[in-house]
Amino acid sequence: MKRFINDCKKYYKYAIYSGKAELKSDIAQSHLSWLWWILDPLLFMLVYTFVALVVFGRAEQYFSAFIFIGYTSYKFFEKTLKGSVRLVAANKSIVKKVYIPKHILLFRKMYVNGFTSAVSFLLVFCTMAIYRVPLTYHVIGFIPLVILLFLITFGFSTILMHFGVFVEDLSNLISVGLRLVFYMSGVFYSLEKRLDSELLRTVLLKCNPIAFIIDQMRNALLYGKGIHWKLYFIWVVISIVLAVVGLRLIYKNENGYVKVI
Amino acid sequence: MENAIEVRNLKIRYRSFKKLSIRKSLFKFNEQETFEAVRGISFAVPKGQIMGIVGKNGSGKSTLLRAIAGIFSPDEGEIDLHGHTVSLLALGVGFQKKLTGRENIMLAGMLLGFTEEEVKEKMPEIIKFADIGEFIDKPVQTYSSGMHSKLSFAITAILETEIMLIDEVLSVGDAKFKKKSYRKMKQLIANKDRTVVIVSHSSATLSKLCDTILWLHEGKIMMQGTTDEVLPEYEKFME
Repeated sequence: MKRFINDCKKYYKYAIYSGKAELKSDIAQSHLSWLWWILDPLLFMLVYTFVALVVFGRAEQYFSAFIFIGYTSYKFFEKTLKGSVRLVAANKSIVKKVYIPKHILLFRKMYVNGFTSAVSFLLVFCTMAIYRVPLTYHVIGFIPLVILLFLITFGFSTILMHFGVFVEDLSNLISVGLRLVFYMSGVFYSLEKRLDSELLRTVLLKCNPIAFIIDQMRNALLYGKGIHWKLYFIWVVISIVLAVVGLRLIYKNENGYVKVI
Repeated sequence: MENAIEVRNLKIRYRSFKKLSIRKSLFKFNEQETFEAVRGISFAVPKGQIMGIVGKNGSGKSTLLRAIAGIFSPDEGEIDLHGHTVSLLALGVGFQKKLTGRENIMLAGMLLGFTEEEVKEKMPEIIKFADIGEFIDKPVQTYSSGMHSKLSFAITAILETEIMLIDEVLSVGDAKFKKKSYRKMKQLIANKDRTVVIVSHSSATLSKLCDTILWLHEGKIMMQGTTDEVLPEYEKFME
């Protein structure tokens, strides 16, 4: 724990500078540059509005904002987890030549993904304004939920980052797993309203952290409901335990990474 | 005399994981072999000294150098650099390929322990030494291997860490740059405040440059002393 804190203090400036440079390079390499940060969630929202309204004939209240919340939260989790699997190998030119605590690479990734997600969340607030969603004090719940999203993503990512060094086809498995999480998280539909089975609904909303975060965020921002704090703190504890396990694995085995990559 | 590097009972082990495939070997993570590359060695290098490390292939020289550079952390024992900055000259620094040379200079400098301001101050000198023209503002992925090496060497050479670790004699870039980099390396080594550790198989280079020699054999210290004492014994052993 002490080593983790010292490393964070020593390298946080590097993580921020490096993240900013990566964002700049992403902009430079694309024709529409930063517009993609807005276009991506916008186009996704249009596709799923079509699927929900035309194909299934069902939509939720404040549907655009409803989808933006689901998509932005899931996309941050998905991009970070997918990236973490190959993170050490992708940075082998650095890892082999200078010492860098490996979780700093993860922080950089989360900084980049966090920034694009922040742009996407601006769309949430814009659509909320367009819909004239009545604001309640529960809106503040957005902040602890974003913190939980970061914690749970970091926890899972540290573990995947470690095993991703050694297991060649882990990224394939993770892609399938994340696709499953996508459909089981209610990104473009309401788990609460669309699932008939009480058991399945409860299991998904309580045992799938992304479904829990998306559901609670929609409640806080759109529907004026408070956070389920008991479950919230259980997930905070689980996130911390995952992060501790992942960091211990990384610190214990990082000498071996240099040889494998 | 003040020590720049103190190594106490250092042990470095590799858990020699092999790349696995889920399909082939699910849940076989425990089948790992451990290889001890450095086996409990202790030594100190006084500030300003130039120490050479010799030993046959697989004796632990490069592992020791990388451990001093911080790339490998000790499994047992400790390495105390007394807060001095350190760089591994021969390897240079790693680059993020999507970023420009200028951005990579900043990032590499920060990883070597310099502040943003210190790197900014040295930036013009690094760019001048690297001599890669307008490519400095292009992504590193567009560089030739020569340009890559030039920039890498320029960063570690110009940022001048207090401890320099050199793995084998440098051979970087084209003929002109090779001469320039060799001259720069000699100039860096000549600085009396700088502590230098050189790994080389060339006894001629080591006897020319080093004050003392550490002879490693199968991860342990075989002999340590002045260049004149150790090198003849080492050469006799290798014959």
